[in-house]
Amino acid sequence: MSVMSAQTRPVTRNWGLVRGILWTALGLAAVVAMIMDLGLSPKGMAAGFGKLGQFLAAMVPPSDGGDFSRILAALIETLAMALAGTCLGVLAAIPLGIIGAKNVVRNPVFHFIYRRGLDIFRGVPALVWALIFVAAFGLGPFGGVLALAAADIPSLSKLFAEALENGDPGPVEGVRAAGVSPLLELRFGLAPQMAPIMASQCLYFLESNFRNAAVLGIVGAGGIGFELEERIRVFAFDQVAFIILLYIVAVSLLDTASAWLRRTLR
Amino acid sequence: MSPDNAIADFEAARRRQLRRQWLKSGAGLLIASLLLAAAFHQSQFFTADIGGDPARRILDFLTRLVPDLRGEVLFRGTDTPGSLSAWFYDLPRWLDAIRETVEMAALATVFGAIGATLASFLCARNLMPWAPVRFVVRRALEVIRTLPDLVLALILVAAFGAGPTAGVIALTVSTVGSLGKLFAEINEEVDPRQLEALDAAGAGLLTRIRFGLIPQVLPNYASYSLLRLEGNVAAAGALGIVGAGGIGLELQRAITYTEFSTYLAILLLLVSVIFVIDLTSEAIRHRLILSQDREP
Amino acid sequence: MLELTALTKTFGETVAVNNVSLRIDRGEIVGVIGRSGSGKSTLLRLINRLTPATSGTVSWDGLPIYDLKGRDLRRWRRRCAMIFQQFNLAPRLDVITNVLIGVVAERPLATSLVKHFPATDRARAIRELEALDMVHAALQRAGTLSGGQQQRVAIARALMQDPELILADEPVASLDPMNAEAVMEALKTATRERGIPVLVSLHSLEIARRHCSRIVAMSKGRIIFDGCPSGLSHEEVERIYSGRLAGVTIASHNDLEVAA
Repeated sequence: MSVMSAQTRPVTRNWGLVRGILWTALGLAAVVAMIMDLGLSPKGMAAGFGKLGQFLAAMVPPSDGGDFSRILAALIETLAMALAGTCLGVLAAIPLGIIGAKNVVRNPVFHFIYRRGLDIFRGVPALVWALIFVAAFGLGPFGGVLALAAADIPSLSKLFAEALENGDPGPVEGVRAAGVSPLLELRFGLAPQMAPIMASQCLYFLESNFRNAAVLGIVGAGGIGFELEERIRVFAFDQVAFIILLYIVAVSLLDTASAWLRRTLR
Repeated sequence: MSPDNAIADFEAARRRQLRRQWLKSGAGLLIASLLLAAAFHQSQFFTADIGGDPARRILDFLTRLVPDLRGEVLFRGTDTPGSLSAWFYDLPRWLDAIRETVEMAALATVFGAIGATLASFLCARNLMPWAPVRFVVRRALEVIRTLPDLVLALILVAAFGAGPTAGVIALTVSTVGSLGKLFAEINEEVDPRQLEALDAAGAGLLTRIRFGLIPQVLPNYASYSLLRLEGNVAAAGALGIVGAGGIGLELQRAITYTEFSTYLAILLLLVSVIFVIDLTSEAIRHRLILSQDREP
Repeated sequence: MLELTALTKTFGETVAVNNVSLRIDRGEIVGVIGRSGSGKSTLLRLINRLTPATSGTVSWDGLPIYDLKGRDLRRWRRRCAMIFQQFNLAPRLDVITNVLIGVVAERPLATSLVKHFPATDRARAIRELEALDMVHAALQRAGTLSGGQQQRVAIARALMQDPELILADEPVASLDPMNAEAVMEALKTATRERGIPVLVSLHSLEIARRHCSRIVAMSKGRIIFDGCPSGLSHEEVERIYSGRLAGVTIASHNDLEVAA
């Protein structure tokens, strides 16, 4: 045994080394090819970073440009959009999630197609939805709220469906053995388990929607994104810095509040 | 204690608890509904003028979104209205843009993973003994995670001009933010005995990282990087909307000409590419996890 | 009177319960023993149809249980309460609500959905809890209690159903000896004071001997002993628990039957 391993080991190690070198070379070649294809040039980079340096220098000291109340209003609108969008998304995702749970609709073919369908639309960013909703329903936060909800619905539905599937069957069976109807089984066996899980998912989505909502203004869907874009376009980077700082503070406040709520609801 | 006393005591306790619960959940409900009402009001959800009767608008939107394909000419050429190729009339250009999108995501993931590895070494408790450095790096990563990649892209487009360069850099930065945190967590969970053994042998920091750490963390790094690649492809799809390269530009163009059905075509193309990449990456990640289980 | 006739349950290839016939009268406390996997739990779950049988019938006072559907089946489940090894309480609901689940099926749906019950129901639930020495925890979440306490709550819920029969599936397997004793006493009290027959599966022969008026032993889905505890001789015990010996005897027994 020991003789054998002594003989084979150097060979396998060499193979591993060769394979490692091959893969690394292949990866490097791919990276270089992609860089060339995208036209990332050192010259362009240098110029860009030079400009970026100027922007950063222009950011100090941050200034509200005398428009603090407007910036604050836009930030509040962003939060409002995030709240409304999350609320709409959750309302839609609850029935969609129930339908998608293996233990509710038992047809495996339906389940497979339905869940794959959700998966397919899970990746579409809110901004992509916002672009078309604004074109369809006009400028303003309405399209933004719809876009946030649309971006959340597939993943939220999937999470709700999984939470339903992974619920502890014990309490449900305990209630069933008392001879209650399926609705009450859900109410007393499953709902108490689900509520805290779902509440905490909703809060996570609220946090992420506040981040998503901040960019929707770029396509005219309301919120702080519009103020930001306007100031970047006129190179008012001191005000850009001010907005970003204010936004970072708002995000950490929201995250803290949401973490506290999650702890309380547990 | 007689049963009647027990019942009376219980009822009293129950009333107290109910009152407490009502106060708590009533206050919570009130605050939540006020917040939501304010949110819907502020975002003008029910008051906004969306150009007439909402139901009609939505119906109108859907009819413009769905292409009117006709069965009998479905497979005719581009110049026959109602055919599939008329719907996907600019397919080669869109595929080109999608290739650009995927390349942006791939490059950003590679650069981001490299950056995140460096950052994670600087903020892992068992590798970086100097607390102030850990603190600064961690805070920096936090700030990056707070900023949406599209905000970064907006600023970078102003600096680098329209095109994929700004997109790659924006995605790279946000990848460093998210992967850096995850990598640091992986670093702190490694088996310390291998590091200690090298330490005892008098190895320097680099040797310890190379032989004590990398073999342990590499599968996890790769797995998280692939997961991030999936997210990056989706995110890169939106970057073009702010001028940072990729398919987003085509989406923007379709909207400019109010060709909703074209928008749907490009969107379908994008989600199918994202879907295929997700499936592939998922398969690789499963294999990574398996191989890790086999050789601990 | 509970009557099982030729009850069989197969899971794919495995026969969990094999052609079991059994009669249980009021006032009896019947212990079902056997090694794990011998089909005890399945047998109990076949009676309230948490698991559907492959073939055979169950009847209660002449009522054919296997013909019941929907509402009638649920009414039967109310008449035969079940107690589980893992208690199966709703851990996030308070104890009193868990007990009241025993009557929820008979109350108006709307008020039940908001967890509101008539004061008379609450009073009854408190009396049941009092008898089991659990009133002090009535407003606590069930999940915060110890295993023994949870099982006592589960018994209160079962008694709240005003059952005509109690099925107890390994009720003491997860409990320490003291709590196990209390739970078995509670089941015995139900039989003694209300005449409710109890069918209880047990992993411990010693507990079955001390508390049951009759013992049914199962092996490989079949009943291989049925009688009073004193009739359980050393050889019988050997046959029930020593796997290989039992396996051989049963197998040869089967072969004989097939041959005949």
